[in-house]
Amino acid sequence: MTWKEKLAGQIPPAWAEEIDIYETQLELRKLGKIDEKLFAETRLRRGAYGQRYDNGQRFDGFRTQQLRYPKAGLTKGPDTEWDAPGMQRIKIPFGGLNPTQLETLADVAEEYSDGILHITTRQDFQLHFVHIEDTPTIMRRLAAVGITTREACGNSVRNVTACPLSGVCRTEAFDVTPYAKALTFFLLGHPDTQDFGRKFKPAFSGCEDEACGLVHMHDFGAVAKIQDGRRGFKVFVGGGLGAVPYQAKVLAEFLPVEELLPTAQAIARVFARLGEKQNRARARIKFLVDKLGIEEFKRLVFAERQTLPPDPRWTQFPPIEEKPIQPPGSLPAEQPPGFPAWLATNVYRQRQSGYATVTVACPLGDITATQARQLADLVRRFSGDNVRTSVEQNLLIRWVSEQDLPALYAELQRIGLGEHGAGTILDMTACPGTDTCKLGIASSRGLARELRARLAGQFFTLDEAVKGLKIKMSGCFNSCGQHHLADIGFYGNSRTIGNHKVPHFQVLFGGQWTHNAGRYGLAIGSVPAKNIPAVVERVTGRYVNERQPGETFPAFINRLGKAEARRMIEDLMQVPPYEQDPTFYSDWGDPREFSMGDIGTGECAGEVVSALQFELSAAERLNFEAQLAHEAGQFAKADELAYGAMLQAAHGLVRELWLDVPHEPAVVVAEFKTRLAGLFPAAQAAYLYKRHEGAPAATAEAVHRLIEEAQLFIEGAHVCADKLQQQKAAARDAILKK
Amino acid sequence: MITHKIGIKFFFTGPATKPLAEYIPVFHGWIRRQALAGHLLIDVHDYSHVHHGPGILLVAHEANLSVDEAEGRRGLVYLRKQPARPPEILAAARQAVTLLGEPVEPTFEVFVNDRLAPVTAADLGTALGASLTPKPVDPRARPTFLATVSR
Repeated sequence: MTWKEKLAGQIPPAWAEEIDIYETQLELRKLGKIDEKLFAETRLRRGAYGQRYDNGQRFDGFRTQQLRYPKAGLTKGPDTEWDAPGMQRIKIPFGGLNPTQLETLADVAEEYSDGILHITTRQDFQLHFVHIEDTPTIMRRLAAVGITTREACGNSVRNVTACPLSGVCRTEAFDVTPYAKALTFFLLGHPDTQDFGRKFKPAFSGCEDEACGLVHMHDFGAVAKIQDGRRGFKVFVGGGLGAVPYQAKVLAEFLPVEELLPTAQAIARVFARLGEKQNRARARIKFLVDKLGIEEFKRLVFAERQTLPPDPRWTQFPPIEEKPIQPPGSLPAEQPPGFPAWLATNVYRQRQSGYATVTVACPLGDITATQARQLADLVRRFSGDNVRTSVEQNLLIRWVSEQDLPALYAELQRIGLGEHGAGTILDMTACPGTDTCKLGIASSRGLARELRARLAGQFFTLDEAVKGLKIKMSGCFNSCGQHHLADIGFYGNSRTIGNHKVPHFQVLFGGQWTHNAGRYGLAIGSVPAKNIPAVVERVTGRYVNERQPGETFPAFINRLGKAEARRMIEDLMQVPPYEQDPTFYSDWGDPREFSMGDIGTGECAGEVVSALQFELSAAERLNFEAQLAHEAGQFAKADELAYGAMLQAAHGLVRELWLDVPHEPAVVVAEFKTRLAGLFPAAQAAYLYKRHEGAPAATAEAVHRLIEEAQLFIEGAHVCADKLQQQKAAARDAILKK
Repeated sequence: MITHKIGIKFFFTGPATKPLAEYIPVFHGWIRRQALAGHLLIDVHDYSHVHHGPGILLVAHEANLSVDEAEGRRGLVYLRKQPARPPEILAAARQAVTLLGEPVEPTFEVFVNDRLAPVTAADLGTALGASLTPKPVDPRARPTFLATVSR
C-alpha cells in the first residue's frame, strides 16, 4: 500500500489534486519534458528547496570533491543534482499547530529527513537532507492533517506570521489570529499572487510597542488597532531585511478589517505589475515602494482596489476557538528545583486569569521526532490543542493552568525540553548558515552553539541587564537570522589573509527587537569568527560597567557612538598568521580549513517564471496526459485533455490582458478571439475554435490529430506570450519612468 | 519483500564520556577518503545540542549514519535510505562500526523506518540472519526490535 492509497479521502480534494500534479511534474522532469528552471520554481512553490552541495561539489578541507550521484546529469534546477539532499519547508500559518500535526511532522522528519524538526525564524518548520522523490509523500501526509507546503518558497506569498501570544496577550488591541488565517488562505494560490518577481512576506501584530510580529521588517505588515470602536489595522508595506534593510512605510493609519484582504490583493496586483523581474537583487517590494515613493504607491494601490471585483472571502474571518483542557488555577507553593528560574523566563501570564503560556526553548530551533511526540502528549494533557511556533525558533504551549506549571516543568525536564532562559541572551537565533544553506558563508549555528555553551555556564552570575539582551546571527548578509534586530547581531563574511580565507562575522550593535523591529543595528566591523565570543564578553562587560540607570543596550550604543564601539573591538579584528594559529582559519564546529568554494547559487530568489509560463506549462502537461490517455485507448478522456490544454494556454494569454478572466470555456474563447486576434497565429488559433465549436474527437485518428493540433496551439501560445511579455515590460517601464 | 528502510543501532559499551564533537573530524575524514565502500558520503551535521538526538550525523546518499544518543544510550546508527537487501544493510552497518573503532555490545537494535511496511520480527530476523524480539516502544514510534546474531 502507498501513502496515496492510505490517505485517499483524507486530504482536501484541491490539495490532493495539486500534489498529484506536482508528482506528475517530477516524472515529466525525469523524462526531460519540463525545463529545469520551470521545474525549479515549481518545486520551490511547493516548499522543496535546494541545499548546500547540491551542485555536486564539496570542499573536503584539502580539495574540492566531485560528489557523483547515481542520476548524474539529471537536475532539479540549474546546477542542482537530482539526487542531492534538499530541504523541505513547511508553512505553519501564524505558527498555529495542534498535537496531531506535531505527531505527523515527527513521523515525516523521521522517515524522510534526519529525525529533526527545525523551527525557522518565520514560524515554519524545515526538514533537511530530503530526497526530491520523497516530497510528494511528505506533502500528502502533511495535507492529511491540514498542513500545506504550497508557496513555502519561491516567488510567492510566504508564511503569514503573527505574534505567538495573539489571543492571550495582555497588551494586544485584539486577537489577530483569525485575520492572519484568513489572509493566508485568501492569498494562497490566488491568481494575483502568481506573477511576483520575488517573495512577499506578511506579518501581523496585536500591539505596536512590543516585538510581536516584527511588522516593520516585512513586505506587508498589519498592526491591530481599534478606532471609534471599530476593529482595523495600521498597515505597513515595503519593509525587509536582506543585504539592504528597509523599515516599512505606513500605507494606511487605519484600515477597517473588511478592507484588509482587498487591500492586500491590490498590493499584490501592483507588485506583480510593476515590481522588478530581471534584477533579482532589487525585486522585493521594498525597492518598488522606494522607487515610486510611498504616496504614489498608495495612490496606485487604492486605485487598484477600486477595480477589484467583489469577493465574499474578504469579510470571512472564521473565529479561532481555543479551549483549555484544564480549569484555571493558582501557582502551587511546592515547586521543583530549577522551577523559579524557568518560571521567570519561560512563562507568560495570559490576560485570561489563571492561565499561562509556556515557551519551550528549542536549542537552535531543533527538536527530535521523539520529543515532538512527547510534546504532543504534554499539550494534550496540559493545554488541549494549542501550540505555536515563534520567530525566535521556539514552541509555545498556550492555556496552561497555572496550577499545572510545576508538573509541566517536570515533564519538560524529563524529555529534555525544560531549559530556562527563553527570550534571554541564552536563547539565540541562528539561521542554518553553512550547515545546510547554499548561500552560507560562515557557520552561524556553530557560533550560536559555542556562545550558548559559554554563556549557559555563567548565566546565573550575569548582570540582569545582560541576561535580557538578544543575540541573533546569520550565515551571510541575507539576514535570515534577523541579526539587524538584535542587541548584538552577527552575519557571516570572509577575509583573505595571505593565501588563506578566514571566517569572519560582521558585528552589529543596537538593533531594536521591540516596537515591531523598531530600529536596525549598526554595523561596527568584521571580526574573525574565533574572536566573536570575546566581542560578546567585552561589549556586555562595558554595558554593565558604563550604562546609566535604566539605559537600554541600543541607547547605550547610541550614546557610545559608532567610532567608540569600533575602537572597543578593533584589536579583536586582527587575525594571527596561519603559521601562528591555524585555528582562526577554520570555522566553529567544522575542522576543515575554511573555504568560500562551497557557496552555491541561492534559491531564495527563485526562478523568474511568470504566471503565464506556468499556465503554458500546465497546458503542456495536460497535452502530455492526453497522449497517455490516447495510448491507453481512452479517447474521450484524451479529447477532453487536449481541448483542456488549448483552453489553459488561451486562458493564460487572455489573463495577461484581463486579470479577472474566469475559466469558463465560452468566455475564454470569446475573449481570446477579441483580445488576441492580431497577436496569435491565425492558423493555430483555428484549432481551438474548431474543437470548441465542433464535436469532440471520437476515433483514435481524430484524437491523435487533435493532440497534434493542441501542441501546435501551445507552440503558438509561446510565440504570442513573448510578444505580450514585451508589451507588458514596456508599459511597466513607462509607468516607472513617469 | 522486506523494506530496505531499516535502521540498525550498535550500542557503544561503557559510559559515553567522549565529547560528541570529537566525532566531527572523524566523519569529515571519512568523507575525505570516501571511506565507506558502496556509499557516497556527503556531509556532517552537528546535533550535539539536542537532547537524546542524532548527535553527530554523517549524511550519505545511501544511508544516514550517526553517533546517536536516543534514549540516552550512545551508539552508531546506520539508517538505510536507498534499496539494498537486509544482509547488505547489516554488513554496511558493521563496516561502519568497525571503521569507527568503538567497542559495541553484542545485542543491537533494528528498527523499520517505514510505517506502512508490513514487517514481523520473524521475517525481518530471517532476512537479517539475526534473532529479533520486539522492543516495547511508544505505539507511534517505528517498529523496533532487539537483535542478536544467530548465525
